[in-house]
Amino acid sequence: MMVKDPSQPSRLPLKYCDQCPFFTDSVKTKAKANTEAISNSVAMDVEETQLELGFPCWIPVRRRFDPDSPFFASGNIERELLAKQVALDLTEDEKHYLRNFVDEDFRGVFCSIVGCDARLTSLEDFEDHYNARHTASCSVCSRVYPTSRLLSIHISEAHDSFFQAKVARGYEMYQCLVEGCSLKFKTYKSRHQHLVDKHKFPSSFEFFKKAHPSKKQRQKQQRKQSINKKADASSMEVENEAIDDLVSAVSKLSTSDSPSSISFGRRHTRGLTFVPRAVQRDKRPDST
Amino acid sequence: MAENGAILHRRDPIKSSVGNVAAHRRRQHAVTVGKERRESLVRAKRLCRVGTSGEGDGEGEAPLESGMIIEEEQSILEAQTSSAVEELKAAVSNQGKGALQKRVATLRELRRILSRSEFPPIETALRAGAISVLVQCLSFGSPDEQLLEAAWCLTNIAAGKPEETKALLPALPLLILHLGEKSSLSVAEQCAWALGNVAGEGEELRNVLLSQGVLQPLARMMLPNKGSTVRTAAWALSNLIKGPDPRAATELIKVDGVLDAIIRHLKKADDDLATEVAWVAVYLSALSNVATGLLVKSDVLQLLSERLATSSSLQLLIPVLRSLGNLVAGDLHTSCAVLVPGQEITDKVIEVLAKCLKSEHRVLKKEAAWVLSNIAAGSIEHKQLIYSSEAVPLLLRLLSTAPFDIRKEVAYVLGNLCVAPTGSDGKPNLILEHLVSLVGRGCLSGFIDLVRSADIEAARLGLQFMELVLRGMPNGEGPKLVEHEDGIDAMERFQFHENEDLRNMANGLVDKYFGEEYGLDE
Repeated sequence: MMVKDPSQPSRLPLKYCDQCPFFTDSVKTKAKANTEAISNSVAMDVEETQLELGFPCWIPVRRRFDPDSPFFASGNIERELLAKQVALDLTEDEKHYLRNFVDEDFRGVFCSIVGCDARLTSLEDFEDHYNARHTASCSVCSRVYPTSRLLSIHISEAHDSFFQAKVARGYEMYQCLVEGCSLKFKTYKSRHQHLVDKHKFPSSFEFFKKAHPSKKQRQKQQRKQSINKKADASSMEVENEAIDDLVSAVSKLSTSDSPSSISFGRRHTRGLTFVPRAVQRDKRPDST
Repeated sequence: MAENGAILHRRDPIKSSVGNVAAHRRRQHAVTVGKERRESLVRAKRLCRVGTSGEGDGEGEAPLESGMIIEEEQSILEAQTSSAVEELKAAVSNQGKGALQKRVATLRELRRILSRSEFPPIETALRAGAISVLVQCLSFGSPDEQLLEAAWCLTNIAAGKPEETKALLPALPLLILHLGEKSSLSVAEQCAWALGNVAGEGEELRNVLLSQGVLQPLARMMLPNKGSTVRTAAWALSNLIKGPDPRAATELIKVDGVLDAIIRHLKKADDDLATEVAWVAVYLSALSNVATGLLVKSDVLQLLSERLATSSSLQLLIPVLRSLGNLVAGDLHTSCAVLVPGQEITDKVIEVLAKCLKSEHRVLKKEAAWVLSNIAAGSIEHKQLIYSSEAVPLLLRLLSTAPFDIRKEVAYVLGNLCVAPTGSDGKPNLILEHLVSLVGRGCLSGFIDLVRSADIEAARLGLQFMELVLRGMPNGEGPKLVEHEDGIDAMERFQFHENEDLRNMANGLVDKYFGEEYGLDE
């Protein structure tokens, strides 16, 4: 475009077809706007208006801003400034929480599940604790998992002979641990590699940690001790046994998932009949 | 702002019924929890000074100090940190019966160091190898206390500098897995808090978290009706989806139950929870077309209007208004199919926007005007609706008295009211009635003021409105009006302005309307 002589009236048609009159803050007019900027700003129809002078007349358009646009900056700052003013009113949560404390004369209730020495201070706490501690635990080795899905993956991989059989035959049995990822792998290691490669898990992550020998020994000791001792389940891992040893392995398993029997009696031997693992897996521990 | 000390005054109504000291301290902690939460709603990272379950230590913990730590104390703190980490390493490798208690006690010690001082010795902790030992403490089946304390330590490490947050990388998968539905609520919440801090750090970490499957379990935590866990989860989610990549937002809205939960919370939740959920809605509506479509088709516009009408909490009003604005700006469907002139919802929306214009808060005025400008960019019926509402007198007043950024938005509204949607002939026609009335009520000077401002966009708006006046006012009144308001003067400033567009626009107008023949017939 020619530099205009200020004394001369402008007769040059000025093209504005590639310049939306309505820029969002994030696209300043300093840089010549291009159609890309227009689509970024999600403007409605951008019509070129060719009047005599080529003046870019006012055209109403919707203006949209990205969340990190400077347009919203003052709102974010304002919020933060405000956030530092303290209101002394208690929220519903706090009142609710306080009621739990104020109501109780006693110090709290012990979890009724044998082997668990948690002390809870309210019914809600207890329910929460119970749900966490006593419903997602492996009935074979007592390991606790934060989700049912992880628990069932663990049971399959650590205690299920059929699982091992299929693995031995080359089926892809090891599921990815990330919910929503449906991939499966032939070996524990290749699943681990997938977690590291695809899901950026650290390579030090171990889904299945072998129990420390000392813990095992301790448990064996406890079982030999007096009746009053509350024993954890022995942590036998079937995956270490050949499939042929299945029967003997199974017979060594304790059925400590049903506390009701233990709390009634102080028998050393578990009075329950053996329940097949397939059934055990679905069965929730009875609450006393 | 009240300091921690002032909280103590609140003990009065409850003190008498609580016998023992420990419960009293827990009450103090509960109040402090609330304060801490309110104090850091949008701050990307939040330091956790008091646990999620309010379980402080009970025994002999002094009230939190907000004061400064002097240098000697800092180095003592650092020494304590290193030794705590070393002790923890030792405690973790022990498997004896007492080892568990020892582990928890050491974790607690470390946690205290990391949560009490103004500048927690995070770097020292990291150098001593805190992360890997904390990761070990997060293994499946660990007692809740241990998980909680470990997650708490990680939370506060993550609240530090960027490289400190990044140090949490090895811990992320476990933190995510402990969000599971079988985790105790306080453990899950503490993990969510830590993850929220990590997500708040930046896009790179957000992507890592997302690829590790954080979205589903975190979203699930937002579904219950109440509880601090829901609020923490919503806050963490807002950090996760804030973009600029829109994929996370789109993924979130597709999770089962999320849309329903958002609607439910916007409708019924208390201010604190509703605020966090509203921020989630802000990002959903700004980034995800899928989400916007779904939200608009639900009755969320109604719910947002309700909140705007009834709430007095600025913290809540800002994201609610912004969500509304994003929905209007982002989806044609909003203006065309939902906010139809004549529908009750439309009247309601304009009513609450006008209410925001009356607010004393700058942000509400500005963003409300923005929303109105987008509605005014719609059909003629929309413009007529706004024109005849109580918004216009408010806007006119704001145009002359408000701070600059508000005036700019107001200008958009008023200008949009005067121009019809571009017809098939490609020419935007004037709505003469509106133009004449608004100019008659004195808005021209406000626009000319904008021309004089240093802001390019504002100057452009001003010139464009002047063009409307010059072209459209009947009986050739336009030039006279403009001259009367010193418009020629304002335009002549652009004669040698560096911005070529503005220069051309201004000179063009002057040439056309104030050329050699101007004033000759008087």
